[in-house]
Amino acid sequence: MEIKTADYNVWTEGAVIHYEGTLRLSGTDAYQPILELMQGVLAEKPETVVLDLTQLEFLNSSGINLLAKFTIELRKLPDVKLKVLGSTRIPWQSKSLPNLQKLHKGVELSIT
Amino acid sequence: MSIRFGDTQFSNGPQAFGMAVVLSEGPLGVTWQHASATCEFLGDVFATRHAKGGQDYSEARHSIIYLVNELLENAIKFRSPGDIEIRCSLEGGNFELLVRNLASRDVASRFQSLLSEVTSRDPGELLIERIEANAADETSSASGLGILTLMNDYGARLGWNFEDAAQESAILLSTHASLTLN
Repeated sequence: MEIKTADYNVWTEGAVIHYEGTLRLSGTDAYQPILELMQGVLAEKPETVVLDLTQLEFLNSSGINLLAKFTIELRKLPDVKLKVLGSTRIPWQSKSLPNLQKLHKGVELSIT
Repeated sequence: MSIRFGDTQFSNGPQAFGMAVVLSEGPLGVTWQHASATCEFLGDVFATRHAKGGQDYSEARHSIIYLVNELLENAIKFRSPGDIEIRCSLEGGNFELLVRNLASRDVASRFQSLLSEVTSRDPGELLIERIEANAADETSSASGLGILTLMNDYGARLGWNFEDAAQESAILLSTHASLTLN
């Protein structure tokens, strides 16, 4: 599965979801296709879902809400682990990703 | 009549490095893409200026872009027809932003009730609460998250001023933001 535009690219490799570029969509509806792609990975019932954000340079607050919503969905599935990969090179990740752990203590967050 | 919320005081003086941009209702209108283009431009200009003092360019650019984009997205989403005025200044690592636009009385009054909650609670706690509420309600538009992430994750100081506008049906909304750049 892949969603590709001039500004961003979101694709899956097994249960790893990769994000690349700049995501500043206008709200919940605009993010729906990306949420559906993420839910498609969940439907395969993997042991671990990985969100690889290490190439996602910018994300607006509606996009942060998308990650938060997905994290809450995972909280309801205690058998599925959620791993979030970030980069110290990209400032928003160290600032905003720790919020995901407040929503779901089981999130394994690795910002390197 | 004027109603204020939060911190509307600016401290940068007339000698600060500054710039004003107006997004006008021209033949092509103001669109979502203007928020992106404007925040990238202002992020580049002000981070370059900030980095002349030996400070970190990338962190400053990122914070400015996030701040300008979130407030412009709100202005574009919730405005009534009219120009959007953007004023920025930088002095000694203090970045200040003013976004001014018209809003309908209805939108302004709904926004005021959100702001009275935002300015009276701990932003970190409220952020998590709003995210939980948004996730539980399919129809929720996630409004308020931009403001709360700015306050909680970026340490931005925000303030809002609502005044009567020339047209009776509209309110002039000025959003004030300041950010200490590293």
